[in-house]
Amino acid sequence: MTTSATVWLLLCVLAPAVLGCATLWLPRRAIAARTLVALLGPVASFGILLQHFGAYGVSPIEAPAATPVIDWIPVLHLNLSFLADGLGGFFGLLVSGIGALIVLYARGYFGRDEAALFRFYPTLGFFTTAMMGIVLADYMLLTVLFWELTSISSFLLIGWDRDDRHAVKLAMQAFFTTGLGGMFLMGGVLMCGYATGLGHGEGLWRWSEVLGAGAGRINVSDPLIIWSFVLMLFGAATKSAQWPFHYWLPGAMAAPTPVSAFLHSATMVKAGVFLTGRMFPVFAALDLWGQIIIPLGAFTMLLAALIALNQHDLKRIFAYTTVSQLGLLMCMYGLGSLDYHGHANIEWDITQIANHAFYKAPLFIIAGALGHFISRDITQLNGAFRKQPAMVITMLLAGYALAAGPGTISFQAKEFFLHAIHHAQESIGPWWMVLMAMAAITAVCNVAIFVRLLTTLMGWPGGMKREASHAHDDHAHGHAEHEHGPWAHLIWIPGLVLVSLQYVGGLAPGLWTQWIAPLETHAAAEGIPTALHAFMHPTLPLYVSLIAMAGGAVVGLGPLMRGAIVDVHDRIYPAMYWLSVTGGGRAFRVIQTGRFRNYIVFVLIAFLGAYLCAMILDPAMLDWPATESIFEFIPGVLLGVIICATAILMPIVQSRVVRVIILGSCGFSVVGMYLLYQAPDLALTQLMFEIISVILFVLVLRLLPDTKETDAASGRWWRFTIGSMTGLAIGWLTLVAAQSGAEPRLGEFFARHSSTGTEMTGGRGGGGNNIVNVVLVDFRGFDTLGEITVLSIAALGVFSLFRRRESLPTQDEFGDQLMRSVRA
Amino acid sequence: MTISSPVLRNSMRLILPLTLLYALFAMLKGHNEPGGGFIGGMIFATAVCTYRMSHGYAAQLRLLPIHPRILIFLGLGLALGTSAVPLLLGHPFLRSAVGEFHLPFTHHPFHYASAMAFDLGVMLVVVGVAVGMITQLSEELE
Repeated sequence: MTTSATVWLLLCVLAPAVLGCATLWLPRRAIAARTLVALLGPVASFGILLQHFGAYGVSPIEAPAATPVIDWIPVLHLNLSFLADGLGGFFGLLVSGIGALIVLYARGYFGRDEAALFRFYPTLGFFTTAMMGIVLADYMLLTVLFWELTSISSFLLIGWDRDDRHAVKLAMQAFFTTGLGGMFLMGGVLMCGYATGLGHGEGLWRWSEVLGAGAGRINVSDPLIIWSFVLMLFGAATKSAQWPFHYWLPGAMAAPTPVSAFLHSATMVKAGVFLTGRMFPVFAALDLWGQIIIPLGAFTMLLAALIALNQHDLKRIFAYTTVSQLGLLMCMYGLGSLDYHGHANIEWDITQIANHAFYKAPLFIIAGALGHFISRDITQLNGAFRKQPAMVITMLLAGYALAAGPGTISFQAKEFFLHAIHHAQESIGPWWMVLMAMAAITAVCNVAIFVRLLTTLMGWPGGMKREASHAHDDHAHGHAEHEHGPWAHLIWIPGLVLVSLQYVGGLAPGLWTQWIAPLETHAAAEGIPTALHAFMHPTLPLYVSLIAMAGGAVVGLGPLMRGAIVDVHDRIYPAMYWLSVTGGGRAFRVIQTGRFRNYIVFVLIAFLGAYLCAMILDPAMLDWPATESIFEFIPGVLLGVIICATAILMPIVQSRVVRVIILGSCGFSVVGMYLLYQAPDLALTQLMFEIISVILFVLVLRLLPDTKETDAASGRWWRFTIGSMTGLAIGWLTLVAAQSGAEPRLGEFFARHSSTGTEMTGGRGGGGNNIVNVVLVDFRGFDTLGEITVLSIAALGVFSLFRRRESLPTQDEFGDQLMRSVRA
Repeated sequence: MTISSPVLRNSMRLILPLTLLYALFAMLKGHNEPGGGFIGGMIFATAVCTYRMSHGYAAQLRLLPIHPRILIFLGLGLALGTSAVPLLLGHPFLRSAVGEFHLPFTHHPFHYASAMAFDLGVMLVVVGVAVGMITQLSEELE
């Protein structure tokens, strides 16, 4: 592979965001063009990825091919390089493929709503790019970077309806939860890089190294590696909504349905599963792997399935089944760490991941479509088949896959999972029966949900009866009359396209194997057996499936568990939020007094504290500095006395005008000092600064309130003491610093290099004789760049705070406002 | 706010062009003599603000008929652009180029440093910030 491969993969990652943003330049009314340009992004990604596989093949996970690197920030181990192995490549195809379908679906869902589409496509492109970045990045820190970008972009998508305070709150909940996980992931990555670097020089910072050449350097008994794993797993668990962090996923259903269909079927929530799969080949050797992941995943799977059964809103039902399925996938990777006849107890993991995406996205898509035309509340949907036959059929096809019925790839995937549990008895003994029971109950719930969907939507007996509506519908996006014509059907066709893949896998496993097997990490050579084969050669897992189906039919038709319950975990985030806001608010009111002089006192005390520490640590600070040279230059001494005198006068004088004058004279004396000691640049700058600050003072002086604040006088001596001590400390520091004989002095370095260079600077100099200026624009140019940026931001802040109003307030009102804004 | 003093008004007419010229001079010469973008910008801004105090806002607008935020935008863009050009040439961010070239009809070679463009950006930002803040504050007063 050459660098051009990396460039192409970079384009593959960036294409959705770039083309999504390009739609902003299209005229607002050009909806068809907007959709097509936005569609081009994910399609281009998909194509580039396929082309990449065609040219270089799929990089094997155990020994990944070396990926060419384009340097970005080598010091931080953050460079551009992409790893398209089976797992990452599969996820890349999945994200871009479903992304393309979601672009089309959004056109059907939002209809001719120009404003919504205008905003939606760039945001969606941003998210798709972030997701592609996660799954293709080779540098671990690059993964973390894109991980955080998905948190940000999903926040924008979930809180789509900015006027809905509830939705925005739920978006914040998702953002904080997954963002917290991102922090842990970053800690884990840094710890892994550090731990592997100990004694080896360079640490492992790339997935391709961790999985390939450097795998031997991961010492699974090293506590640092164990902690690194725990931290990374925490990141994966929050993103993939494992208990107790699963609350954010159903909450994120506040998003418009295209977002839910995308985020919760294939992308955002799968990022955690993806990360677990990435870590699997190496970190599964840890004992902790199975001990944490299996119980966590299995419990999440069971709990969420039970909650899903007790919901009415279609989107919430599917949200909880998603959580359940994510628990199953995590559990699958957990079981994979166990040993079965000398090899890993995992089979066709990518098929199991793909299975979920291919039925869950259609379910969400149709839930949005039904919510758009009828309602999203299942009790309102009795007999919906007569109104929207195409949508209902698509939903039932997908629902059949949710129930893992024979004939879908879902059936085989479920069989693989049950087999893995069955095989686990070799390592975990009778515990496998507990897991099997949990899986069976989960399957019962899934089948029951399908049975309810079937009977309700078709209007058959046993379906959900009409109840008082809780008004969940998707009409909030503003176009009242329904569209007709080919574009309107985009609201359900993408769902049909996706769900058909389920049946390709189920009815023609050979074809499926042909597509998926090159990407599979743990594929058995004989391919995926058909459902028919499973029935001809019955095993224990098949019996469990059959029992689950029978049980599901009974529960689904039965009268029990038909209500809608509230998930107690929904209270976790509000409780945390309340705690931090109330507790933080207390602290805030103590620290943030809004008084400038208090802030300065804080800063000075901190400085004095640091100074004290330095004195204690370094006794040389206490040595009496050489003072004989102080009185050599009498004009300097005179100016110094003037400066000190004006400074001391300042707090004694009461009148503000006099204070401004004294401050000015203090400043001008400093200017004189600079001139005497031959620093014209500093003198000029200080002079200009003094003039401008006097002008500003004159402007502001009239705004300040006349009344004396009573507490101003009380702390005066105390502040005076702190101020003088700071002054003395800095003076002492200057004297001490002046006599340190450290060579070479920094100043000499600059003096030597400001004009022409030496070999120390690679023969390059600044090309100027004015050291101060060369330092500003050349040696420390980056600082200057930062400073002018800060200045600009401050000025923009002033512009926006003091925006010109229609009717200007009177003098007094304005003064009050200013004081209030200063206090607030 | 305007200070109606005939002495100030008339002397500002003399002082203003000289100060503005000196500001430019300080910026251009900054690499070798005292001066530089920051100082040049400060001098420029001081002159403009003093002019405003003597002649009023309308006069200032005639003198500097751009909104300060555009100056900030241009300055920051110029500084960033100058810093980014070396990237295109395969050098690190912010590397400066130094050299000499001959102008027609002169004997002395003309010495240049690419950092000057950066300095010009600094100057524009400083002018924009200082003039903008003072304008905004005094506008609120009027």
